Amino acid sequence: MNFNMDYIAHNNRLSSINTSYKVFVSIIVMLITLALNNLYLDVIVFVLMAFLIILVAKISVKDYLKFITIPFIFTVITSIYLILFTGTGEVIYNTGFFGIVITNNSLNLGIYTFARVFACFSCLGFLALTTPIAEILHFLGDLKVPKILLEIALLMYNTIFIFLEELNTMRNAQETRLGYNGSKSTYRSLGSLFSNLFLKSLDKSEKLQCALDSRCYSGEMPRYKPSKNNINTNSNYYSNKTKFSRPSK
Amino acid sequence: MHIMEGFLPPIWCAFWYIISIIVVIYGIYQIKKIANDIPESKALLAVSGAFMFILSSLKLPSVTGSCSHPTGNGLGAAIFGPAVTSVLATIVLLFQAILLAHGGLTTLGANIFSMGIVGPFIAWVVYKGLIKYNVSSTIAIFFAAFFGDLLTYVVTALQLSLAFPLPTFGQAFTNFLIIFAITQIPLAIAEGILTVIIWDRLKVYKPKLLDRLQLLSKKEEIEVDG
Repeated sequence: MNFNMDYIAHNNRLSSINTSYKVFVSIIVMLITLALNNLYLDVIVFVLMAFLIILVAKISVKDYLKFITIPFIFTVITSIYLILFTGTGEVIYNTGFFGIVITNNSLNLGIYTFARVFACFSCLGFLALTTPIAEILHFLGDLKVPKILLEIALLMYNTIFIFLEELNTMRNAQETRLGYNGSKSTYRSLGSLFSNLFLKSLDKSEKLQCALDSRCYSGEMPRYKPSKNNINTNSNYYSNKTKFSRPSK
Repeated sequence: MHIMEGFLPPIWCAFWYIISIIVVIYGIYQIKKIANDIPESKALLAVSGAFMFILSSLKLPSVTGSCSHPTGNGLGAAIFGPAVTSVLATIVLLFQAILLAHGGLTTLGANIFSMGIVGPFIAWVVYKGLIKYNVSSTIAIFFAAFFGDLLTYVVTALQLSLAFPLPTFGQAFTNFLIIFAITQIPLAIAEGILTVIIWDRLKVYKPKLLDRLQLLSKKEEIEVDG
């Protein structure tokens, strides 16, 4: 599992910009793209977002390509499916295989869907790569999303990283003992890995609650909000972001 | 499989959002009630949510050679009930969109409906039904995970064919179902087996806990108490 994205979100040139701007830009562009469904607009949005991600936020091209590869493959597969199986109208090409044909409309649908998915996806990418999750949750809090939901989400976010470390340790231990040799032992190892993790998580939740209680936790993690004049002069103090180190290879 | 960002037309995005939000609000109301009664449960919910996230981001080897991930819904629904699971699944899906670029924000409603609402609800119904008829909880959890997973994909196929009813709705639905069936039935069995192994360990190490949550069948309860 690779959580490079979280590291990138905390360490780029746009991460300290007000969250609401980033959310509004990406959501509004995404909705416009979705609603208009225009091929040219899709390409423009894709280029614009790539520009913002690579040149403005200074995220390396390699990280961006890594981020975009898997969704690209999925989108291509989906589009091929749409081209082959949704045929109505004039036949362009007959594959001669179970009567599967490519038609005028289905080709259009496939291409349009591909472009639209990719344009919208790059908007999501812009948001995901430049904005840490904690900031997004605080932003949702400003939108009056129920507090208890955000509370659980924030605790969950913190716990995920603790789990990942334990998971990696246990996994390494299993791998060095040939735990993933063959599918039968893989299932056994995975089973014990996750049941162990679940038991540990029960334990951890008790400790977490004690730790929170002893620090007078009342359902809110306070966050430093600078006054507006301070933003430029004291950008280091802007967010109480926690930096997660880049996972070792 | 999550429906990707931008795949659904705007009308369907809005439609699934509205349905999901109603259920999730009910789930939040339930969680609030639980949290008021037992303040410690918040940490437990958060940690279980993190567990679900980790479980769902894990790749599982399946028979057809394709790699896919378990949803973790069956286990969650059996332990916490469908309403609470829907809230946890909402957070998990949001994190998956932002942390892993699985799924998306515009399709979040549709994904919540298939993975966070229908899947867990079916799993819960199957689990409780089988337990009531005194089936061993290990078998019950297998079918809960299996049907929870399978129904998730039936609903996804339904959502996709409603959005793209080409050439006709029925034909599109069958097409999507056939394609999902090839990859998802083995996957559902795989998830069932994995859940059973996890459940087995839980029964060995923490029988009292499962008993307290009233998750065991009568026969097993007697074994635990005795």
